[in-house]
Amino acid sequence: MTLATLAAGVVQVVGGVLGAPAIVGLIQHLKARLQGRRGPSVLQPYRELRRLWGKSGVTPEPHTFIYTVAPAVAAASTILALLLLPIGGHGPDWGLGHDALVLIGLLALARFAITLAAWDTTSGFALMGGARDLMFSVFVEGLLLLVLVLLALPLHSTDLLSMSHAATLPEVWSRPAHWAAAVAFCLVIVAETGRQPVDNPDTHLELTMVHEGPLLEYAGRELAYLQWSAAAKHWIMLVLACELVIPNPVSFAAQVAVLGGGVLLLSVALAVCETVQAKMRVLRVPLLLGSGVALCLLGLASWFAGGGG
Amino acid sequence: MPALKAALVERVTAQDWRAACERHAQAGGRFCGLFASRGSQGLQANCLFARSDQDHVVCAHVSSGAIDTLVDLFAAAGRDEREAHDSYGLRFAGHEPMRPLLDHPVEPEAWTVAVHGHDPYQVAVGPIHAGVIESGHFRFTVVGERILHLDLRMFYKHRGLQTAAEGRPLADGLRYAQRACAACAVTNTVAYAQACESALGLAPDRNLRRARTLLLELERLYNHLNDVSAICAGVGFAPGAMAFAAFKERAQRLNQRLTGHRFLFNTVALAAGTLHIGQGDTRAAREELKTLDEEQRRLWRELQFAGSVQDRLGDVGRLTREDAVRLGAVGPSARAAGVHQDTRSESPRLFYGEFVPATPEYASGDVAARLDIRRVELAHTFAILDELLTISFMPGGVKDLDAPPNGLGVGRVESPRGETVCAVQTDGHTTGRLHLRTGSYANWPAVAHAARENLLPDFPLINKSFELCYACADR
Repeated sequence: MTLATLAAGVVQVVGGVLGAPAIVGLIQHLKARLQGRRGPSVLQPYRELRRLWGKSGVTPEPHTFIYTVAPAVAAASTILALLLLPIGGHGPDWGLGHDALVLIGLLALARFAITLAAWDTTSGFALMGGARDLMFSVFVEGLLLLVLVLLALPLHSTDLLSMSHAATLPEVWSRPAHWAAAVAFCLVIVAETGRQPVDNPDTHLELTMVHEGPLLEYAGRELAYLQWSAAAKHWIMLVLACELVIPNPVSFAAQVAVLGGGVLLLSVALAVCETVQAKMRVLRVPLLLGSGVALCLLGLASWFAGGGG
Repeated sequence: MPALKAALVERVTAQDWRAACERHAQAGGRFCGLFASRGSQGLQANCLFARSDQDHVVCAHVSSGAIDTLVDLFAAAGRDEREAHDSYGLRFAGHEPMRPLLDHPVEPEAWTVAVHGHDPYQVAVGPIHAGVIESGHFRFTVVGERILHLDLRMFYKHRGLQTAAEGRPLADGLRYAQRACAACAVTNTVAYAQACESALGLAPDRNLRRARTLLLELERLYNHLNDVSAICAGVGFAPGAMAFAAFKERAQRLNQRLTGHRFLFNTVALAAGTLHIGQGDTRAAREELKTLDEEQRRLWRELQFAGSVQDRLGDVGRLTREDAVRLGAVGPSARAAGVHQDTRSESPRLFYGEFVPATPEYASGDVAARLDIRRVELAHTFAILDELLTISFMPGGVKDLDAPPNGLGVGRVESPRGETVCAVQTDGHTTGRLHLRTGSYANWPAVAHAARENLLPDFPLINKSFELCYACADR
């Protein structure tokens, strides 16, 4: 194991587990500032997690073991997903490999667990949110898959490490396919992290909720797991975008610096986007994601028409 | 503008009740409320009509405990009859099924509309909500994301204010009317004061009319600014929501400076004026309002060019003109649907002069039109305030009308949410019966109707575009 791989492993775990809530905190803080409010501190999500950690949970009636294990399943699959991420093109082998399709599968597993829990409690708001989330996921997963296929084309591999390596090649930026993937990835980030215009993470209006709906019944430590998972999803999406889409320098140290800057930049972009954009009508979201699919298909066509060099 | 006349009371027998009310409707009378009262001869049913010449009240003694329903003539009477049934035991022959309004039976079948079929399911929201929202229970019948039907259950905040006012001196009734709701405190008290003064054969002088008009418009100003903020929040457009919330705060601070209360409490007195604003204060207020107006106009332009906001407003929560008239919708919601009615143009007891009701650019009756009507009305309100504040305010008084006291007075005042009607039956100088029918009360059925056929996640936005109050409907 090289030093770079070891360092990448440390960033995977420390950044993913401990750093992720700071991304959410940063976005909240910037948003408040952009809207003319003082807003909470960047550290607020950590305080929330500490508060929830010390509180007892609640168990709605009726419920089965599904409701009880769902937060743990969601958090566990998110942790596994963290370990797949390439950091600066490197990543230790945790015995999971680094396949992009495994990542999609783990994210789907987390979503599936949360939706099952919504079903388990039969709470109307949870079911509505879960149903909408599943409806969106049909489009988001398809789009993410297409984006990853586009990014896998240069080196003919869905291994995230080699896909990250492909982003170090200067010629990818002369290919329309890469641009299409970059733009479509932005849509994936917005949809997967539950940000406006797809979902409003600040809303208290249960009827409009998507990602928050299934969380309504939870409290205490279970809610902490779920909130951490939501924050970790921000980390996963932003790191993936930086690693696979932004042109990376060859040296590891420079790549990690680009990664840090990229995550910061994308967080600012999310805050700005959420401030200037109102939330979309629910049934319009598939159209938005569909436009990303169309873009990806164009990118794919351009690749096979010779744009792949 | 109708002449300054007291309401004309027409006493009929229970048999003639329905025919008499029908006659008023045919003569162009607009139904504006029905209530029961208990007099020396037992139960009495009262129906109010606004006609171009003056207000009319049809009263009928009900000896048998039952009277013909009016609900097929005026759909707007539905809630009034249900309330009279629940609180006075008055039965309405032909009103079937009589669903309880104040009473809260446990079984949903007792108060909701039955929906049959395999696909519809129900979503229950409230009465306890997230956020600072009052108590109301919404029961949606939905297919997928689409609303088939909405049943509302209110009266969780029923405090019995009207009954509490009974038997007390007329002047005390002001406090009960005021406590119905904070956001319409001025409207409710002015309506009450007008009803009492009309019953006593009094009319406000110029100073009192000016003062009350100023208070009403100050109330409309902060309410409309708040409603625009609420609509922005409803679509998740935080910059607009924050900016208009800040404007509302400035308007309320101006209220505090001018009257000593952010919600303009205790500014209206019976048959007297209390407002005293010197020349220096009016000048400062005009300056403040001028800058506020300029800044909010700038924000409106930004809202108009925010594509993601505009995209959410059109064709959502549509209320057609016919439905608005049929359901008795009033105020900005009705005007947004093309109903050309504003009680400010029929208010000889206030200082509106030749007032013309506002019309939105497109009277489409949807959320977009309800937002736009507030833009137009805010412009009117700023203009009225600017004109009123050119001169200082002295405490006014009342003068005697030649008309003798007739024991029943009606006050109609345009609140930020629509016409508020207050009827007072006097018993000498004490209140015999106080009935308050606020703009919110009149508009709730329209909200339930406008929600149909829309997407469930759009309902909060539709609700906010009406921005009705629960407390002053429950009172």
